[in-house]
Amino acid sequence: MSTNAGDLQAAEWFAKVREADMDSASEQFWLKWIEDGAHQQAYENCELAWELSADLRDSPALGAALARADALIAGQRAAPVPAARSRWRVPVWQVGLAAAVIAVGAFSWFFASRATPLNYSTAVGEQRTVALPDGSTVFLNTNSEVRVLLAAHLRRIELVRGEALFNVAHDPDRPFAVHALQGVTTAVGTQFDIEVMPTGAAVSVLEGTVTVGANGAVTAAAPVAVSAGSGVGYTQEGTVSEVRPAELNRIRGWRTQRIVFNDMPLATALAEYNRYRQAPIVLSDPALGSRHINGVFHIGDETAFLGALEQGLHLKATRRDTQTVLQPEAGYEP
Amino acid sequence: MKQDPTQASASQADASYPLAMIDGNPIPDDPSHKAYVTALFNRHRTSLQRYLMRLVPPDDAAELVQESYYRLLRHGGMVRIDAMARSFLFQTATNLARDHYRRRASHRTALHVPIEDEEIIEDHRGPDEQLAGEQTRALLERAIADLPPDTRTVFILHRFRDLTYPQIAEIMSLSGRTVARKMAEAIARLSAAMSEAT
Repeated sequence: MSTNAGDLQAAEWFAKVREADMDSASEQFWLKWIEDGAHQQAYENCELAWELSADLRDSPALGAALARADALIAGQRAAPVPAARSRWRVPVWQVGLAAAVIAVGAFSWFFASRATPLNYSTAVGEQRTVALPDGSTVFLNTNSEVRVLLAAHLRRIELVRGEALFNVAHDPDRPFAVHALQGVTTAVGTQFDIEVMPTGAAVSVLEGTVTVGANGAVTAAAPVAVSAGSGVGYTQEGTVSEVRPAELNRIRGWRTQRIVFNDMPLATALAEYNRYRQAPIVLSDPALGSRHINGVFHIGDETAFLGALEQGLHLKATRRDTQTVLQPEAGYEP
Repeated sequence: MKQDPTQASASQADASYPLAMIDGNPIPDDPSHKAYVTALFNRHRTSLQRYLMRLVPPDDAAELVQESYYRLLRHGGMVRIDAMARSFLFQTATNLARDHYRRRASHRTALHVPIEDEEIIEDHRGPDEQLAGEQTRALLERAIADLPPDTRTVFILHRFRDLTYPQIAEIMSLSGRTVARKMAEAIARLSAAMSEAT
């Protein structure tokens, strides 16, 4: 695998842009450079490599290299100050010996201080409370996963899927940053909830203030401050919406194993309810989805939920192995 | 391949994920934003189309080009540095291509395509419908694994742990210039793997 000069130049430009350190002079150079067709194609290769490498985040083949990188992040505070160039003249063999001693010391230090990222997950229908070593608490909702890395200068949490409510222990020296999709929500001490959905994520703040912004510098819109009682959504790329009211009822609901429907279209309500079920409840006719429902249901008490739908909306539930189908009672077809 | 713009955004707003309303952000009423996005888009359109055609079939690529444009229009407050805006455009387009594969995967499950047909459509992609096919993934994985150790760590910290260059410089005790140089080296090796792949 060899790289020619043109490809290297493209890679250099690409790396420079990632640094987000471009003034208008270098932008002019870049614009001139990218006009060329061959340059453009070389640049596309860089973009393709960069974007597709996102899928390798959890690659087992890179597990050891990822663990080394995490240890490096975690070791920040304890890391020995890089040695200044020696001022003493000593025989070479002594330097070798000293280096060997330091290497052994560094090696054992490496293993002692190594912070392995902690993984916590829940199955469909399961909820779980996790106490983190820094005093923070994470409440995991159904079918969710977080990866936690507590390091000297940062607390990095990755919400891989699902939803979690974070009760953050105050520590101004170590911001608590939750990464989900391409967005980051940062707090020093507060309580907030994030739900990851196929098209984006929703953040609701229950106490204190957080900032929400895109991951990295490339999109570079300033992070949005969100305070208690408010929330925002963001897209996969981390485009943050206008500030809107937090989903307080829904979040307080799931924390107490309740699911709250407040004049909600049936289709939306089922999507929410199905987050807790292995076998989804589906509608025989999508037109039924526009009917509205109200009520508070215990997560897991499916009999009560289906009963309410049967009586309130004149639907009939048929349970099968892989799904439960709701269809109109005779005479109540849409 | 002319695509009706209203059609494209309507298909995006389908009702399959009713809880996620955020994508319905209105297009900001800011003529300078629209003018900037349009100029950016026109400058990089050919390149974007060629890029997408390496990820999805040609017809779909044309549709995704258009959809990327609307995504950018809805995205307020962009940094108006062309090089950085282009990164955002290509990232957006790649995410759309990713969704495209997921949708295709779920569609297929819903239709219960018989196994014989499945094999024909499936080509080299794995069951989880990752955007990168098995071979491309393997090539990239190999390219990362084969990087010199420091270069690999710089790449991993930036790509998978979202650290900025100054943060990486600090924890690895390197200069900022060295970090940028190592990133360039990593990107060059990975992009060489890409030209091998396609």
